[in-house]
Amino acid sequence: MKKNTLIFMTILSSLLAVSAQAHDPEKHMKGAETPNCASMKNMEHSKMDRSDPVMQAMMEKCMDKMHQDEAQALESDKMHHQPKNSETKNPTSHKH
Amino acid sequence: MVSPGVLPRLKCFVFMIAVTIVVGVAFIYSGFYPVGADDRHTPVTYWALDTLRERSVSRAAQSIEVPVELNTSTRLLRGGSDYQAMCVSCHLAPDMSESDFTKGLNPAPPNLTQHQGDENLESRARSQFWVIKHGIKASGMPAWGPGHDDERIWNIVAFLQRLPELSPEQYQILTARGSANSNNH
Repeated sequence: MKKNTLIFMTILSSLLAVSAQAHDPEKHMKGAETPNCASMKNMEHSKMDRSDPVMQAMMEKCMDKMHQDEAQALESDKMHHQPKNSETKNPTSHKH
Repeated sequence: MVSPGVLPRLKCFVFMIAVTIVVGVAFIYSGFYPVGADDRHTPVTYWALDTLRERSVSRAAQSIEVPVELNTSTRLLRGGSDYQAMCVSCHLAPDMSESDFTKGLNPAPPNLTQHQGDENLESRARSQFWVIKHGIKASGMPAWGPGHDDERIWNIVAFLQRLPELSPEQYQILTARGSANSNNH
Protein backbone atom coordinates (compact mmCIF):
# COMPACT_ATOMS: atom_id res chain seq x y z
CA MET A 1 0.00 0.00 0.00
CA LYS A 2 2.75 2.40 1.03
CA LYS A 3 4.80 1.42 -1.99
CA ASN A 4 1.87 2.20 -4.30
CA THR A 5 1.37 5.59 -2.65
CA LEU A 6 5.06 6.34 -3.09
CA ILE A 7 4.95 5.41 -6.79
CA PHE A 8 1.81 7.51 -7.28
CA MET A 9 3.39 10.51 -5.55
CA THR A 10 6.56 10.17 -7.63
CA ILE A 11 4.59 10.07 -10.89
CA LEU A 12 2.41 12.98 -9.80
CA SER A 13 5.38 15.16 -8.82
CA SER A 14 7.12 14.32 -12.10
CA LEU A 15 4.03 15.35 -14.04
CA LEU A 16 3.78 18.60 -12.07
CA ALA A 17 7.44 19.33 -12.72
CA VAL A 18 6.96 18.79 -16.45
CA SER A 19 3.88 21.04 -16.55
CA ALA A 20 5.75 23.73 -14.60
CA GLN A 21 8.58 23.60 -17.13
CA ALA A 22 6.08 24.13 -19.93
CA HIS A 23 5.24 27.52 -18.43
CA ASP A 24 8.85 28.51 -17.89
CA PRO A 25 9.54 31.82 -19.70
CA GLU A 26 12.91 30.45 -20.85
CA LYS A 27 10.98 27.89 -22.94
CA HIS A 28 9.69 30.72 -25.11
CA MET A 29 13.14 32.17 -25.77
CA LYS A 30 13.97 29.89 -28.67
CA GLY A 31 13.00 31.65 -31.90
CA ALA A 32 11.61 34.59 -29.92
CA GLU A 33 11.13 37.95 -31.58
CA THR A 34 13.97 40.37 -30.93
CA PRO A 35 13.28 43.97 -29.88
CA ASN A 36 13.39 46.49 -32.69
CA CYS A 37 15.69 48.91 -30.91
CA ALA A 38 16.30 50.92 -34.07
CA SER A 39 12.80 52.41 -33.66
CA MET A 40 14.01 54.12 -30.47
CA LYS A 41 16.27 56.34 -32.54
CA ASN A 42 13.24 57.73 -34.39
CA MET A 43 11.38 58.60 -31.20
CA GLU A 44 11.22 62.22 -30.15
CA HIS A 45 13.89 62.51 -27.47
CA SER A 46 12.42 65.67 -25.95
CA LYS A 47 9.29 63.71 -25.07
CA MET A 48 11.23 60.87 -23.44
CA ASP A 49 11.05 60.86 -19.68
CA ARG A 50 13.94 58.84 -18.29
CA SER A 51 12.21 58.43 -14.93
CA ASP A 52 9.24 56.72 -16.60
CA PRO A 53 9.34 52.92 -16.05
CA VAL A 54 8.27 52.38 -19.70
CA MET A 55 11.30 54.32 -20.91
CA GLN A 56 13.54 52.60 -18.36
CA ALA A 57 12.30 49.20 -19.52
CA MET A 58 13.00 50.09 -23.15
CA MET A 59 16.47 51.35 -22.27
CA GLU A 60 17.11 48.17 -20.28
CA LYS A 61 16.01 46.03 -23.20
CA CYS A 62 17.99 47.97 -25.79
CA MET A 63 21.00 49.14 -23.79
CA ASP A 64 23.27 46.29 -24.86
CA LYS A 65 22.16 46.62 -28.45
CA MET A 66 22.72 50.39 -28.43
CA HIS A 67 26.19 50.00 -26.93
CA GLN A 68 26.93 47.36 -29.53
CA ASP A 69 25.75 49.70 -32.31
CA GLU A 70 27.72 52.60 -30.90
CA ALA A 71 30.86 50.44 -30.74
CA GLN A 72 30.28 49.28 -34.32
CA ALA A 73 29.70 52.86 -35.48
CA LEU A 74 32.88 53.96 -33.72
CA GLU A 75 34.79 51.09 -35.26
CA SER A 76 33.54 51.84 -38.77
CA ASP A 77 34.24 55.52 -38.18
CA LYS A 78 37.81 54.65 -37.26
CA MET A 79 38.13 52.47 -40.34
CA HIS A 80 36.72 55.24 -42.49
CA HIS A 81 39.13 57.82 -41.15
CA GLN A 82 42.12 55.52 -41.00
CA PRO A 83 45.11 57.26 -42.64
CA LYS A 84 46.46 55.62 -45.80
CA ASN A 85 50.03 54.26 -46.34
CA SER A 86 52.32 57.23 -45.70
CA GLU A 87 49.88 58.79 -43.24
CA THR A 88 49.89 55.68 -41.09
CA LYS A 89 53.51 56.31 -40.23
CA ASN A 90 52.71 59.72 -38.84
CA PRO A 91 49.24 59.82 -37.25
CA THR A 92 49.60 63.47 -36.29
CA SER A 93 49.56 64.46 -39.95
CA HIS A 94 46.05 63.05 -40.39
CA LYS A 95 43.68 65.52 -42.02
CA HIS A 96 39.90 65.34 -42.39
CA MET B 1 -54.55 28.55 13.08
CA VAL B 2 -53.87 29.21 9.38
CA SER B 3 -56.47 31.43 7.74
CA PRO B 4 -58.64 29.57 5.20
CA GLY B 5 -57.37 31.35 2.05
CA VAL B 6 -53.61 30.79 2.67
CA LEU B 7 -53.38 27.05 2.10
CA PRO B 8 -54.85 27.02 -1.44
CA ARG B 9 -52.59 29.98 -2.33
CA LEU B 10 -49.53 28.17 -0.99
CA LYS B 11 -50.45 25.06 -2.97
CA CYS B 12 -50.87 27.18 -6.09
CA PHE B 13 -47.47 28.81 -5.50
CA VAL B 14 -45.71 25.45 -5.07
CA PHE B 15 -47.48 24.15 -8.18
CA MET B 16 -46.28 27.16 -10.21
CA ILE B 17 -42.68 26.62 -9.08
CA ALA B 18 -42.88 22.93 -9.96
CA VAL B 19 -44.28 23.75 -13.42
CA THR B 20 -41.52 26.34 -13.97
CA ILE B 21 -38.83 23.81 -13.03
CA VAL B 22 -40.36 21.12 -15.29
CA VAL B 23 -40.67 23.55 -18.24
CA GLY B 24 -37.10 24.78 -17.66
CA VAL B 25 -35.66 21.26 -17.58
CA ALA B 26 -37.74 20.29 -20.64
CA PHE B 27 -36.36 23.33 -22.49
CA ILE B 28 -32.76 22.38 -21.57
CA TYR B 29 -33.29 18.84 -22.86
CA SER B 30 -35.17 19.99 -25.97
CA GLY B 31 -31.98 21.35 -27.57
CA PHE B 32 -33.81 24.45 -28.81
CA TYR B 33 -31.49 26.94 -27.13
CA PRO B 34 -28.99 28.26 -29.74
CA VAL B 35 -25.47 27.85 -28.31
CA GLY B 36 -23.55 29.02 -31.39
CA ALA B 37 -21.13 31.83 -30.58
CA ASP B 38 -22.18 33.62 -33.77
CA ASP B 39 -25.74 33.82 -32.48
CA ARG B 40 -25.83 37.08 -30.47
CA HIS B 41 -27.38 37.35 -27.02
CA THR B 42 -30.38 39.58 -26.45
CA PRO B 43 -29.62 42.94 -24.75
CA VAL B 44 -31.20 41.61 -21.55
CA THR B 45 -28.93 38.54 -21.55
CA TYR B 46 -25.89 40.77 -22.19
CA TRP B 47 -26.88 43.01 -19.31
CA ALA B 48 -27.44 40.06 -17.00
CA LEU B 49 -24.11 38.41 -17.91
CA ASP B 50 -22.16 41.69 -17.71
CA THR B 51 -23.64 42.66 -14.38
CA LEU B 52 -23.19 39.17 -12.96
CA ARG B 53 -19.53 39.10 -14.03
CA GLU B 54 -18.67 42.62 -12.85
CA ARG B 55 -20.35 42.20 -9.47
CA SER B 56 -18.85 38.77 -8.91
CA VAL B 57 -15.29 39.82 -9.81
CA SER B 58 -15.57 43.01 -7.78
CA ARG B 59 -16.74 41.13 -4.69
CA ALA B 60 -14.19 38.33 -5.03
CA ALA B 61 -11.28 40.74 -5.65
CA GLN B 62 -12.02 43.26 -2.91
CA SER B 63 -9.65 41.77 -0.34
CA ILE B 64 -6.68 41.33 -2.72
CA GLU B 65 -3.65 43.37 -1.71
CA VAL B 66 -1.98 45.21 -4.59
CA PRO B 67 1.86 45.22 -4.42
CA VAL B 68 3.29 48.67 -3.64
CA GLU B 69 5.87 48.52 -6.42
CA LEU B 70 3.72 47.70 -9.44
CA ASN B 71 4.93 50.28 -11.96
CA THR B 72 8.56 49.18 -12.42
CA SER B 73 10.62 48.48 -15.52
CA THR B 74 11.33 44.90 -14.44
CA ARG B 75 7.64 44.10 -14.05
CA LEU B 76 6.82 45.77 -17.37
CA LEU B 77 9.40 43.67 -19.22
CA ARG B 78 8.37 40.40 -17.60
CA GLY B 79 4.66 41.12 -17.87
CA GLY B 80 5.01 42.38 -21.43
CA SER B 81 6.54 39.21 -22.78
CA ASP B 82 3.89 37.11 -21.01
CA TYR B 83 1.12 39.33 -22.40
CA GLN B 84 2.49 38.81 -25.90
CA ALA B 85 2.61 35.04 -25.38
CA MET B 86 -0.69 34.55 -23.55
CA CYS B 87 -3.09 37.45 -24.11
CA VAL B 88 -2.50 39.37 -27.33
CA SER B 89 -4.57 37.16 -29.61
CA CYS B 90 -7.74 38.03 -27.67
CA HIS B 91 -6.94 41.38 -26.03
CA LEU B 92 -4.96 42.92 -28.92
CA ALA B 93 -1.86 45.11 -29.28
CA PRO B 94 -1.58 48.86 -30.06
CA ASP B 95 -1.43 48.30 -33.83
CA MET B 96 -4.32 45.78 -33.93
CA SER B 97 -8.01 46.55 -34.19
CA GLU B 98 -9.30 42.98 -34.29
CA SER B 99 -8.27 39.34 -34.49
CA ASP B 100 -9.98 36.06 -35.30
CA PHE B 101 -10.63 35.65 -31.58
CA THR B 102 -12.22 39.08 -31.11
CA LYS B 103 -14.42 38.44 -34.14
CA GLY B 104 -15.41 34.94 -33.06
CA LEU B 105 -15.77 35.03 -29.29
CA ASN B 106 -19.13 35.92 -27.78
CA PRO B 107 -19.06 38.05 -25.67
CA ALA B 108 -16.06 39.65 -27.42
CA PRO B 109 -12.99 39.94 -25.17
CA PRO B 110 -12.21 43.51 -24.05
CA ASN B 111 -9.62 45.46 -26.05
CA LEU B 112 -7.03 46.10 -23.32
CA THR B 113 -5.10 48.62 -25.42
CA GLN B 114 -7.92 51.05 -24.68
CA HIS B 115 -8.70 52.62 -21.31
CA GLN B 116 -11.32 50.58 -19.47
CA GLY B 117 -13.82 52.93 -17.80
CA ASP B 118 -12.99 55.38 -15.05
CA GLU B 119 -12.48 52.83 -12.29
CA ASN B 120 -9.56 53.71 -9.99
CA LEU B 121 -6.20 52.07 -10.72
CA GLU B 122 -6.00 50.00 -7.57
CA SER B 123 -9.46 48.57 -7.93
CA ARG B 124 -8.81 47.78 -11.61
CA ALA B 125 -5.50 46.11 -10.73
CA ARG B 126 -7.28 43.91 -8.16
CA SER B 127 -9.95 42.86 -10.67
CA GLN B 128 -7.39 42.20 -13.41
CA PHE B 129 -5.31 40.07 -11.06
CA TRP B 130 -8.34 38.04 -10.02
CA VAL B 131 -9.56 37.53 -13.60
CA ILE B 132 -6.11 36.45 -14.85
CA LYS B 133 -5.66 34.07 -11.95
CA HIS B 134 -9.14 32.53 -11.88
CA GLY B 135 -10.48 33.08 -15.40
CA ILE B 136 -14.18 33.48 -16.20
CA LYS B 137 -16.52 30.57 -16.71
CA ALA B 138 -17.88 29.95 -20.23
CA SER B 139 -16.28 33.08 -21.63
CA GLY B 140 -13.04 31.87 -23.24
CA MET B 141 -10.95 33.47 -20.46
CA PRO B 142 -8.83 30.70 -18.91
CA ALA B 143 -7.55 30.59 -15.33
CA TRP B 144 -3.78 31.16 -15.54
CA GLY B 145 -3.36 30.59 -11.80
CA PRO B 146 -2.66 26.85 -11.95
CA GLY B 147 0.49 27.31 -14.07
CA HIS B 148 1.63 30.76 -13.00
CA ASP B 149 2.54 32.11 -9.57
CA ASP B 150 1.08 35.34 -8.16
CA GLU B 151 4.22 37.34 -8.82
CA ARG B 152 4.10 36.49 -12.50
CA ILE B 153 0.42 37.45 -12.68
CA TRP B 154 1.16 40.79 -10.98
CA ASN B 155 3.78 41.44 -13.68
CA ILE B 156 1.07 41.07 -16.32
CA VAL B 157 -1.21 43.39 -14.31
CA ALA B 158 1.62 45.94 -14.15
CA PHE B 159 1.95 45.77 -17.92
CA LEU B 160 -1.82 46.13 -18.40
CA GLN B 161 -1.78 49.37 -16.39
CA ARG B 162 0.52 50.96 -18.98
CA LEU B 163 -0.66 49.19 -22.13
CA PRO B 164 -3.22 51.82 -23.25
CA GLU B 165 -0.46 54.47 -23.38
CA LEU B 166 2.03 52.44 -25.44
CA SER B 167 2.83 53.14 -29.08
CA PRO B 168 3.30 50.14 -31.42
CA GLU B 169 7.09 50.69 -31.28
CA GLN B 170 7.18 50.78 -27.47
CA TYR B 171 4.95 47.72 -27.34
CA GLN B 172 7.25 45.79 -29.68
CA ILE B 173 10.34 46.51 -27.58
CA LEU B 174 8.68 45.76 -24.24
CA THR B 175 7.08 42.52 -25.35
CA ALA B 176 9.88 40.99 -27.43
CA ARG B 177 11.19 38.01 -25.54
CA GLY B 178 14.48 37.73 -27.38
CA SER B 179 17.54 39.71 -26.37
CA ALA B 180 18.62 42.68 -28.49
CA ASN B 181 22.03 41.00 -28.70
CA SER B 182 20.58 38.00 -30.49
CA ASN B 183 19.61 40.25 -33.39
CA ASN B 184 21.99 39.41 -36.16
CA HIS B 185 21.26 42.35 -38.39
